[in-house]
Amino acid sequence: MDKKEKINSKKEKNLTGLISEKEKSLALFCMEAARRHGACQVRVSLSKSVLDSYSMLNGELDKVAHSADRSIFLYVFADGKYGTFSTNMLEEAELDRFTAQAVASVRMLAEDRHRRLPELSRTADDAITGREPGLYDGTYEDMSSEDRLQLAENECIFKNIAADAALQDADASCDSGSLRDRQFRVISEECEYSDSVDDNFTADSNGFRGRHTETSFAICSEITIESDGKKYSGYWWDSSPFLAGLQKGKCSETALEKALSQIGPKRHSGGTLNMVVDRSVSSRLISPVISALNAASIQQESSFLKDSLGKKVFCDGFTLVDLARTPGKPGTRFFDTEGVATHDMDIIREGTVKTWFINTYMASKMGMEPTVEGVSRPVVLPYSAGICSDGSVLQGRFGAAEMISECGSGIYVTGFNGGNCNPTTGNFSYGIEGFAFRNGKITHPIREMVITGNMTELWNNLKAAGNDARPCTRWQIPSLCFADVFFSA
Amino acid sequence: MSFRTGAVKDNPSGRRYTKDRMETQYFLNRFHVTVPQLEQLAGTSLSQGGDFADLYFEHTVYNDLLLRDHEVSSGGFHIDYGVGIRVLKGDKTGYAYSENTEMPDMLCAARAAAQIAQANVMPDGHSYRIKGSGPCHRQDTYYHAGKMWSDSEAPAFIPILKKLESMILTRDSRAVKVIARLAWSESDIMMYNSFGELTCDFRPMGSIVVSVIFSENGQNENKTSSRSFRTGAEMITDKLLEEMAEEAVSGIDARFQAVRPKGGKMPVVMGAGASGILLHEAMGHAFEADFNRKGQSVFAGMIGKQVCNPSISIVDDGTLPGNRGACNYDDEGVPGQKTYMVRDGVLESYLHDRISARWYGVPPTGNGRRESFRFNPIPRMRATYMENGEATKDDIIASVRKGIYVDEFSNGQVKIGEGDFTFYVKSGFMIENGRLTAPVKDINIIGNGPQALADITAVADDLRVDNGTWTCGKDQNVPVSCGIPTVLVRSLTVGGE
Repeated sequence: MDKKEKINSKKEKNLTGLISEKEKSLALFCMEAARRHGACQVRVSLSKSVLDSYSMLNGELDKVAHSADRSIFLYVFADGKYGTFSTNMLEEAELDRFTAQAVASVRMLAEDRHRRLPELSRTADDAITGREPGLYDGTYEDMSSEDRLQLAENECIFKNIAADAALQDADASCDSGSLRDRQFRVISEECEYSDSVDDNFTADSNGFRGRHTETSFAICSEITIESDGKKYSGYWWDSSPFLAGLQKGKCSETALEKALSQIGPKRHSGGTLNMVVDRSVSSRLISPVISALNAASIQQESSFLKDSLGKKVFCDGFTLVDLARTPGKPGTRFFDTEGVATHDMDIIREGTVKTWFINTYMASKMGMEPTVEGVSRPVVLPYSAGICSDGSVLQGRFGAAEMISECGSGIYVTGFNGGNCNPTTGNFSYGIEGFAFRNGKITHPIREMVITGNMTELWNNLKAAGNDARPCTRWQIPSLCFADVFFSA
Repeated sequence: MSFRTGAVKDNPSGRRYTKDRMETQYFLNRFHVTVPQLEQLAGTSLSQGGDFADLYFEHTVYNDLLLRDHEVSSGGFHIDYGVGIRVLKGDKTGYAYSENTEMPDMLCAARAAAQIAQANVMPDGHSYRIKGSGPCHRQDTYYHAGKMWSDSEAPAFIPILKKLESMILTRDSRAVKVIARLAWSESDIMMYNSFGELTCDFRPMGSIVVSVIFSENGQNENKTSSRSFRTGAEMITDKLLEEMAEEAVSGIDARFQAVRPKGGKMPVVMGAGASGILLHEAMGHAFEADFNRKGQSVFAGMIGKQVCNPSISIVDDGTLPGNRGACNYDDEGVPGQKTYMVRDGVLESYLHDRISARWYGVPPTGNGRRESFRFNPIPRMRATYMENGEATKDDIIASVRKGIYVDEFSNGQVKIGEGDFTFYVKSGFMIENGRLTAPVKDINIIGNGPQALADITAVADDLRVDNGTWTCGKDQNVPVSCGIPTVLVRSLTVGGE
């Protein structure tokens, strides 16, 4: 079968993952049916996705999975009341029954005068084809099962490292020699290649129509090794909206390096120390801040940032923006779940809170102007003055290595293990893993340590933010450096 | 072919469902398939050389109601329907699903899953003849749906949430915000495999969660309470609501007063009930056979070995009636059962699905579970708890000179290979000279699973299985529960000020 035949064959079976005109009609049918059954306003969201994954265990194919999903979400506003409904049974007769039942159910709830659709003027009018965010790679349509298997197989290094490991000698330290010089046994290597297409069509009875389409290609790998009777595991992944953008052949290597680097952990004394957080896990520390800026939390008095709008809450070096409209970059979207148009905007500028995430409902309830329902593509901007007053380190790459080099001693955090942040108070406690560093150099892996503190205080102690956020992530959070973090061990 | 049905049978008020769901034909009709079609699908699934195939049909209707700002002003229902098709060759898995049960679409999914058999692999050293779970005509059930959720319209449940809110507000004037959610679901499940075993199950589930914000002198604190059962609407009683309201407000004084203690290594007393999450995270996952089959678990290769004090037995139980983790059958059609992982201190069994069971050459333990038809089953826990010991709670606390007592955890996490775990402590108390003293909160406890297990030096006689809305998120979400009597762990790291 040549390429053209293959594509046509997929299209005939409707396996491309893209919403067809007939399916769009079904969504609009739902909206009309809901109106017919008595809804005064309706929003309908049709989502369709296809995902294929090839999982390898120790160099052999272990699992093949093919997923194809379609579902309709219906947001019904009737008689001043509101409810949400969904189904994946998309036959027209079934949908008519579904919408009738949905409207009847809504009418039984209590009235809530704040529930309504967003004004049409606030919704996006530039998301017509779904391709506007530039996240769709046509290469996806050409992918065959052989291609996918090949990509998964190419990622595996199990047989090579198992053979290498058998030849290794013991005796290596963190400071000298290659990590590969360490004596270890490979327990397992699990790696997976997957690709997917997600297509969404949203429409409302005010006239909004929006579509968002994106592809994703991903590789991940986890390697478990044994050394001196103890097991260590390392994990790494990469993804991209474009096949060409996917870093191939490096995940297993990186996962192995991460596993090896953990050999020989030592207990480290606690205290108030500098903390450098690796870019791969730094989003864990921004997540409670973003959650606390959600109007639903603020209205319910369960946010530690409840009185923060327009106020300087954090240090000058902390700037967080939402770059929702950066075509071709993960996280870009032209409209939120309500259909409201996104904009590039400040969330926190030099420590001052500029935006709360306020949807139409919460805006009415709180008597405020609506913004968007949530963050799309948050970006922490680089900052180095806390550790280098002339900003010189920002001339090139500024990441964890540079921060460690600049700020002397402390703990380099490469992973979080459990823990929580109290959303009401901002008090947090997280288990961490990583390395101790002294005089700008990593000395040894650490274990059984936790950090405790308060989110507001933590971000007031931001000394530096890097420019090394991973391109594959929706949240562009670079490596971070904080002063005066309390570690216990 | 064997036909098996696990459904409500002894319940006059549920007679319509009871009668229907005792009949296999009800399920065949529900999914618009016939037995010959099931046979054809299994045949297609094995057409590329697979050695086992199964089909998992699901129809779930999920409902919820939300009370916020004193009104039940939002809610809805959600329908999920489809069939998952799995093909095994050796211990390799092919999986695909269809969101409708038209034969052409199911055949397409069967052919996609069958691909796995084209991979030319067959690991050495194990027998790959999978076995059926044998003739089974279960007529009993671990789920009692005395009052079918679907027999009532949603508004019938609105007063329940309002009553719960009222109970809380009248108990404590510092309660300023109450959010309460009632969710319920009913699932029709039909499983068929290439041995010709046809298994049907009807699974009800109801859950109530309430979250309360308290305000005092400009300071806010929150507390939650939840209950979840595999039962019908009869689970909702005034007694249950009273219990939840009391739980939501009790201990709030301590929460306002609580401080972070000074950290360090110290004895830790785990309170009975919800502390069972420690068992689930720090030990239970490491007993799941997939991690052990791959050699990744810290407990790999330790079957038959003493892993803790001989007074300790740890079970994973799918047979607790009405429990959130109860399973008439697991999601591979294996009958629900009670499995001793540790008996009298000795590691006795891992938790198996069919793949790991045949790899180890043992019968499956009924732990092959999945989130929905979209997922292939993997070894998962059900209700995991430690059996009673002989000590008393008071004796255990009295035996600690300086340590910490914890009674509410959240956000546990474990590294399977290393066994290292961390838990966030929402509330507890310092123990000083054998007495509970200052309340503590917002700290972490960290340790190593096997070491912590070996360091349990006393087990009380007050086992309590916690009936909160526990959901395990190992790749897929499945409902579970956990429990433990009061236990003393000799030494763990407490992260404090």
